[in-house]
Amino acid sequence: MIDQEDIEQRLARLSGATDALRPSARFSARVMLAIEHEAAPSFFESTWFSARRLLPVAAIAAAMAVVWAVQVDGSVDDELATSYASAELE
Amino acid sequence: MDILEKAVDRVLNGDRSAFQQIVDATSQRLVRLGARIMGNQADAEDVVQEAYVKAYRALTAGDFDRRSSTTTWLYRIVVNGAIDAKRSRKRRAEASDEQVDPGWDGAAFAEARLALSELDDWLRALPAEQRAALVLQSMEGLNNSEIAQVMGVSEGAVEQRLVRARTALRQKREQS
Repeated sequence: MIDQEDIEQRLARLSGATDALRPSARFSARVMLAIEHEAAPSFFESTWFSARRLLPVAAIAAAMAVVWAVQVDGSVDDELATSYASAELE
Repeated sequence: MDILEKAVDRVLNGDRSAFQQIVDATSQRLVRLGARIMGNQADAEDVVQEAYVKAYRALTAGDFDRRSSTTTWLYRIVVNGAIDAKRSRKRRAEASDEQVDPGWDGAAFAEARLALSELDDWLRALPAEQRAALVLQSMEGLNNSEIAQVMGVSEGAVEQRLVRARTALRQKREQS
């Protein structure tokens, strides 16, 4: 029978026979999962988004740390200068 | 405006959940189209899933200019994906379709799968572009102008692909 078919007849028959094809049961859920994954931010994006809020606090803390370090350094210098001066006098 | 275009509008306006409606309205046609080009349902579902992710990205990035209808646009993404997959991916083992859970009438599924297998054997020797053009014309019912839009080529190029495909099939028949 198939041998007698011309190309157009065979295409029409196979078209009809494959018309019933449809996605598997979980296909729609699988696609939406892929879409959710696509919509969710990456690890880098989410880390940056969370860290961004703490940026002003971190900047203030860094500035305070620098001021504190300079002050401590200055007082150490003063103490050393005093002790050197005392040593010279002695 | 039909339900599909409305769903696209909603996604464009930031309602991402509306994408489910796009999937529900188009997945049957797209998986069937993909299966006819790829030759098996498992590969077709992979291609169509990738196509939906690309479509979603394009919609949320504002890259869909609506110069063509949503259906034509989705057809284009699936056909391009299927042609690329046919070129680059080795055909899966026949067992791959065994993993597909039809979720519907088993007898009808078995019959359709048998026909799909026959179609794949018959069209296997054709280059992917010719096979896609033939499927779009003879099985999806598109005219040459619509096929040209979907495949992103001129109508002349579509005509050439169709003539070459039919010539190859005729030669194959004469040889056998």
